[in-house]
Amino acid sequence: MKGKHHIIIQNNKLRYEFDIKRNLTIIRGDSATGKTTLVNMIRAAAQMGDESGIFLRCDKSVRVLEGNDWKLILSSVHDSILFIDEENRFIKSQEFAEAARNSDDYFVIITREDLPNLPYSVDEIYGIHTSGKYHDLKRTYNELYCIYSVAIANIMSMPEIVITEDSNSGYEFFDSVCKGKGIVCKSAKGKSNLKAIATEVNASRVMIIGDGAAIGPEMNELYQLMQSRQNIQCFFPESFEWIILKAGIVKTKELADVLEHPEDYIESKEYFSWEQFFTGYLIQLTEDGYLKYRKTKLNENYLHEREKSLILKIISWWK
Amino acid sequence: MLKIVYGDIENSVYHPPTYFDNVYEDEWLMQDEAREMIKDIDKSDVIGPHLIESPVLGPISPKELSGGVKTLILMKYDESGKIFNASACGDNCAAWMVRLGQEKDLTINLHHVMDFSKVKDFHAVLLNTDTIVNNYQEYLEESLRIKER
Repeated sequence: MKGKHHIIIQNNKLRYEFDIKRNLTIIRGDSATGKTTLVNMIRAAAQMGDESGIFLRCDKSVRVLEGNDWKLILSSVHDSILFIDEENRFIKSQEFAEAARNSDDYFVIITREDLPNLPYSVDEIYGIHTSGKYHDLKRTYNELYCIYSVAIANIMSMPEIVITEDSNSGYEFFDSVCKGKGIVCKSAKGKSNLKAIATEVNASRVMIIGDGAAIGPEMNELYQLMQSRQNIQCFFPESFEWIILKAGIVKTKELADVLEHPEDYIESKEYFSWEQFFTGYLIQLTEDGYLKYRKTKLNENYLHEREKSLILKIISWWK
Repeated sequence: MLKIVYGDIENSVYHPPTYFDNVYEDEWLMQDEAREMIKDIDKSDVIGPHLIESPVLGPISPKELSGGVKTLILMKYDESGKIFNASACGDNCAAWMVRLGQEKDLTINLHHVMDFSKVKDFHAVLLNTDTIVNNYQEYLEESLRIKER
C-alpha cells in the first residue's frame, strides 16, 4: 500500500480523526486516553457496518487483527489498515515481523512495549489526546499527537561527541566533518548500542545521530535518557541518504515531490522502512555519475567542499 | 516495597484487563482507594458496584474502565498471588504503583521501561539483578543494563 489515508470514526459520544501514512504506526501513552475504545469501535464497525451505529470513513478497508488466528486473517486481507490492540503478544514475534514485511497492509499497533523486530519511525509513535467537544458539545473529539518529534528537535547545539548509529557511509561522513571541528565521532554499530555508548562517554554535549525512519523501537528508552541526562541530544533525520537527497546535490524533476510526500512513492510491500527506500533511490539516482553512492563505503566526492557544505546546511545544529 | 521484574516470568498475567473482567469483586470497587484510582486515572465516579459515571462515555460498567485502572485495582485487591503486567498501565499510573508498594510488598512485571520520573520518593527493587534503587536516575540506569524486556 502507498499513500496517506484519512480515518474518521465516530459514535454519538466520541469522534477520532487522524491520518495513517506508513506501514507501521504505534499508539501508546497514558491510561484512559481511549486507545482500546478506538479498537473496539473499529471492530464493531468492521463486523457490522452501518448496523453498528458507528460511522467509519476511510478510502481503505479498516479492521482489527487479533487472536490466535492472526496469520490466517492476515493471509486473506490485502490493501487494508489493520489495528492491533495490546493484548496480542504476537506483535513481538519474528513471525509477525516477517508477515508484516511481506504484507501490503498498514499496521497500527497499540503497545507501550518496544518492538525491536519492527522498523517503525520516531515520527509515527503517537498518543491520543482530546482536543475538546465537537460541534454539538455532546461528542468528544480525539486526535493523534506525535510523542517524540518536538522533544528531540528542541534546542540543539554543537556537541563535543557525536555518536552515529551507522557504521558505514553515514559514519564516515560524520567522522570526517567532526575531525575538521575537533569533535570526537564514534559509531555505535547499530541502534540498539546507542544508549550504552551514550551513557559511557564523558562529555557535556553528546549528539546521537540515527535513522529516524527506523529508530522507533529505541525511542522510549532514549527519550528517558535524554530527559534524565541533560548532556544528550538526538538528531533523527529519516536517514543519512535522506539528508543527501534533501541537500540538493542530486537533481531530478520529481525529487522535491518525493521528499515532500514520500508516502505517495513508497510501496510498503517493497520497503519495510522508508530508510530502505531513500537508500535505494539515492543509489539509483547517482548510478552513473561521480556521486555514485554505496552504503558500505562513502564515495569521497561527498566530502568535496561544495557537496560537504550543501549536506551540512541540512543539519540545522551544525555551525 | 515495590519490586519490578522485567521480561517473561512464571505466574504473570500479560493482559490484566481481561483477567480483571473475569475475576473482579463488586466490593473492590466500593473501597475508598479504588474510587480514588478511578477518579484520578479515568476521571470517573463510582456510583455503585455496577455503575461508573464517565465524563466522556456517560454511565459505564466496570468492564469499561481503562486497562490501567483495572490493573491497579488488581494490584491492590487481588489475592491470587499473580504478578500483573504493568506495561498495561500508562505513566499516569506510576505514582499509584509506588504508593501501593509502600502499603505492601508488590511485585510488578514490566515489558518496557516505565517512566517513574514524576514520582517523588521512589524506591524499588529490580529483581532481575537484585538491585535496590533509591531514585529514578538509579532505576533508569539499572533498567537500561537489564536485557530482559
